[in-house]
Amino acid sequence: MSLLFNKAVTFLLHWLVIGALSPALFGVIARVKAFFAGKKGPSLLQPYFDLAKLFRKKCVYSSTTTWIFRASPVVSLAVMLILSLMVPFGRFRAPVQFPGDILLVAYLLALGRFFMILAALDTGSSFEGMGASREAFFSCLSELALFMNFITLSLLSESLSLSRMIGADIPMSWKGLDPVLLLVVGSFFIVLLAENCRIPVDDPDTHLELTMIHEVMILDHSGVDLGYLLYASAMKLFLFFAILVSIIIPVRTGHPAVDTGIFLGGVFAMAVLVGIVESIMARLRLNRVRLLLLIAFALAFFSLIVTLWRN
Amino acid sequence: MEKIFRGPWTVPFGECSLRLDPLNLVFLAAIVVLVLSSAIYGTGYLRPYRGKKPLGIHAFFYLVFMAAMVLIVTAGNAILFLGAWEVMTLSTFFLIIFDDEKPAVRQAGFIYLIASHCATFFLFLMFFLMAHAAGSMDFDVMARTDFPQAVAALAFLLALAGFGVKAGFLPTHIWLPYAHPAAPAHISALLSGIAIKMGIYGICRVLWIVKTLPGWCGYTLLALGIVSGLMGVLYALGQHELKRLLAYHSIENIGIIAVGLGVGLLGRSHQVPFLAVLGFGGALLHVVNHALFKGLLFLGAGSVIHRTHSGEMDHLGGLAKTMPWTAGFFLAGALSICGLPLFNGFVSEFLIYFGLFTGLRELPPEGVVACSLGILSLALMGALALACFSKVYGIVFLGKPRTDIKTDGAPEGTPFSMLLPMAILAALCLWIGLVPQSVTSLIFGGGTYLAHTDAFAVRLGTVLGPLATVVRMALLFLALILGLVLLRRLFLGTKPLPVRETWSCGFVAVSSRIQYTSASFARMIVELMKNILLFRRRGGQVTGVFPGKAHMKSSVHDASEEMIFRPGLALSNEISKKLGHSRIRYTQLYLMYILLFLVFLLIWKLK
Repeated sequence: MSLLFNKAVTFLLHWLVIGALSPALFGVIARVKAFFAGKKGPSLLQPYFDLAKLFRKKCVYSSTTTWIFRASPVVSLAVMLILSLMVPFGRFRAPVQFPGDILLVAYLLALGRFFMILAALDTGSSFEGMGASREAFFSCLSELALFMNFITLSLLSESLSLSRMIGADIPMSWKGLDPVLLLVVGSFFIVLLAENCRIPVDDPDTHLELTMIHEVMILDHSGVDLGYLLYASAMKLFLFFAILVSIIIPVRTGHPAVDTGIFLGGVFAMAVLVGIVESIMARLRLNRVRLLLLIAFALAFFSLIVTLWRN
Repeated sequence: MEKIFRGPWTVPFGECSLRLDPLNLVFLAAIVVLVLSSAIYGTGYLRPYRGKKPLGIHAFFYLVFMAAMVLIVTAGNAILFLGAWEVMTLSTFFLIIFDDEKPAVRQAGFIYLIASHCATFFLFLMFFLMAHAAGSMDFDVMARTDFPQAVAALAFLLALAGFGVKAGFLPTHIWLPYAHPAAPAHISALLSGIAIKMGIYGICRVLWIVKTLPGWCGYTLLALGIVSGLMGVLYALGQHELKRLLAYHSIENIGIIAVGLGVGLLGRSHQVPFLAVLGFGGALLHVVNHALFKGLLFLGAGSVIHRTHSGEMDHLGGLAKTMPWTAGFFLAGALSICGLPLFNGFVSEFLIYFGLFTGLRELPPEGVVACSLGILSLALMGALALACFSKVYGIVFLGKPRTDIKTDGAPEGTPFSMLLPMAILAALCLWIGLVPQSVTSLIFGGGTYLAHTDAFAVRLGTVLGPLATVVRMALLFLALILGLVLLRRLFLGTKPLPVRETWSCGFVAVSSRIQYTSASFARMIVELMKNILLFRRRGGQVTGVFPGKAHMKSSVHDASEEMIFRPGLALSNEISKKLGHSRIRYTQLYLMYILLFLVFLLIWKLK
């Protein structure tokens, strides 16, 4: 009974952390971009206000849509909540870890994507069809790079579980000034930018450009549904940051408060980094994006070669 | 472990021996489920043909087909196996050409017949080779024989050639995309669901009989699976016709099965029993799963065609509104085939991935490279399948109708006899996805049997534990969805919500024709791969200052058909024509040739 209680507490703790902190990442990115543009920028709490506003609003639905359109925000948010139980938050080990959980992580992400694409096609709008088509294409490439990284990490850690892969053995690998991990970090960072629709792959700030991918797919969502989607994408960003931070800063001092501080500091530093990338780079031309994703794949591929060479 | 029944039979080398073992149990289960549900479906699907076509003949061949398949998987003797194999081939031919007044259907049937008979040739060679080495046609005796390396390798290659045609490995898959769309829906479901699995069964049986396969066999099977899987799904993405697309997708799934078998074989030849059981077990589960979800998808496609009289995706759209039940069942099939959690496809892919990742740790360096390639291609296949089925479902069932679809009849328009089998199959897909423990003993039984290992020697808990956690997470996921739906209801209240038109960025009077089509949805992927897909595009160029109407046509062609088989067949036609010219037309000369040949034989023998 107490075991179950403990489990429930850790679940709730993880959800609390990600639920409370993830929208702030958008605030940080916006502030960094404003700083580079010489503006003051909105408050760090603005994303929370946005969410609160959206949750108070009603939804408007197109007469073309079916229940799929209404289901997709719910599925997206549920996927992120489940994933947040399988990703370690620095010192806080993932409450759910088992050999092969990376497969569940990857395929749950795919499930969310499947419903997003369907919801976009459900509206019958050619703009959203365009976004859906691009999302389907780019996700093929980013999934390839993601699995390549998983292979390298699995070889390094001799394990199949995300918490082990980016957990205990990582400090050892860094001690040898490991080029493998550098390559993995580089590759994973590109995957992160692509999966979370950031510049240079996608521009989260403009809704009405023909060059859009993710943002155009949620063009018809409104009110609570849009709030769910926004929340889900904030959580997704947090989770990807959490994975990357666990690889880059493997410090475990043993002191809970210090470790938590390091982890959260790392996550927000990543948000600043993404903000800087967005400020100093332009969005890539659409047919260049696939090259960027292939670079991510190539980096991961080289890391695998180096790993195999060592063994 | 196996039960063998032997009956008296008077055929040279033959014996009526039937066997039941953990391997064919898996296939029998798939056959029974799919044959029954397709039969129910057929009664509804064929109703419009009543009185116009002799349905009794169709039913007769259906039953013969079923009996032949059961006989194939239970046969314990090569002669019996080959006989049943022929009966299956012929009965399938008559089932495919149901609409025999259409030239395209007749041609598809003919292609199928030729392909199957070429395959049977290899099978005869293979079985005689093995029987020669073993001294018996009986599978049990063969399995006890230690084949020399050369015979084992040759038998393996002949099995790949012979059974590979039936299963649909690249490049001998070309009959599939012709035969599946030509047949009626319930026959396509059977063809794709189990008839091509007979090829897989044959390969499994040979792997079981020949214990001492050389090390490269596993790599060959893995490579074949990777190529078939990737090319299958890429071709599928380029298709515009619903059933043809599904046919290409069968090639992809056969590829996944072959990857699993390859992993199993690698595990067996490197003495890693756990890996062998995982690979073979995953492949066998995928056999069952594919039978369920591909059967479901073909039946769903049949309902669409039944209702709209068109399988051309770019003519359809918005069917989820007019056919809600069919749309729901098709969605279950699409989620399963993409290997997404909650459904059965995920479980079998999970096992195969698990095997590949285990291979990374347990195999020598060349095995690690092979397993890495396997993981990457499975990931790519998964992502491409997702693109493909979001396209199918989005274009056919969502959005607005692209042309005036004749929606005659009641709202759903699909008779109950067609909905029931789809419901059964969809429920089974969900059942295996949520309660995989119910099938693990069946498939791991088959896996250990193929791996020639002791069940107790393998620590199956290593994979069964994670599988149980996956299921718990799936249930938690469902609970979360329920919670979020309730929360949403709380936010929104119960009042009806405003309904407007789709926002079209300021455009008014938007035609439903400007929606994305199946071709435009897949364009970016197809263009990236245009060198291997033979992507062709005609027209579409706008000319002049005031351009008038323009036409554009794009299509994807099968490289192995256009670059291997067409030139090859043209060449053989050419040669046989030349031979025909030099033919001698007098009977007396033929007699003289015979005499000369006899004299030659005499001299040769007397020497």
